[in-house]
Amino acid sequence: MSDYDSELDASGLNCPLPILRAKKALAALEANQTLKIIATDPGSVKDFEAFCKQTGNELLSSGEEGGKFVFMIKKS
Amino acid sequence: MSTRLPGPERRLLILKESQHLFAEKGFHGVSIDEIARAVNVSPAILYRHFDSKQALYDAVLAELSSQRESYVEAVINSGANFEEVLVSMTEVFIHSIDENPNLLRIEMQSLLNGNPATSEFFENRWKSFTDYINFSLNELLAYDIDDREIKILTASLMFQGMVREALLQKYLQPQDRLIDVSLNELSRELVTLFVRAVGIDRPRPAETV
Repeated sequence: MSDYDSELDASGLNCPLPILRAKKALAALEANQTLKIIATDPGSVKDFEAFCKQTGNELLSSGEEGGKFVFMIKKS
Repeated sequence: MSTRLPGPERRLLILKESQHLFAEKGFHGVSIDEIARAVNVSPAILYRHFDSKQALYDAVLAELSSQRESYVEAVINSGANFEEVLVSMTEVFIHSIDENPNLLRIEMQSLLNGNPATSEFFENRWKSFTDYINFSLNELLAYDIDDREIKILTASLMFQGMVREALLQKYLQPQDRLIDVSLNELSRELVTLFVRAVGIDRPRPAETV
């Protein structure tokens, strides 16, 4: 079983598109489900922190994997 | 009068002063002596921080072309509507130029000089718009329209051109004919026209003749 319920690949896209797509993907999830996001925009690290802070969703993790940024967000 | 500053602070001051001078007079219009005078140091001290005028200009370009705006708040607070999001993004972008018009001046210089920093300005500053427009139009435009791909590409170009021209008029023209137009009005009007032109605006009530 994977540790997330849905995955979004926002590689190659600049802010705000990864955020907008994550917002849409989260809307399709139930509370407590987890979304995995992959992005390449270096600004996305700060952006997803700000996004979670403002929307109340929980940023479970934020890290780098093979030159890409990976975020796990749990829907509130 | 000589002011003693720690190295990193002096470096920042040199960058700040030279940014203004380069933005105003261009690379060839400014001498190392002039920059040194503006920072209140000798040219020798300036050369301790930057090997040449070119190295200093490149550092100024690198700093400006890597400046990114965050659109997180703009998109969180503006709902999911394409037009609303684009208005909020445009406001953020225009305000960044309003805070530092050197961003625009130096970008134009780098474009005219064929400097590689031009692509950094695009990657870090304009691509947010072209990505958003490309992606959204791919979702919003009917699949059976003619020349779909070229229409999406030209829409991105049109938007970039429109915003850039408005900014050039507002910030680089001595006789500013947009002086009475607020930044937010400007953003909204440009986006309204754009959305109409690409044909995805919401249906409007029939106008009375």
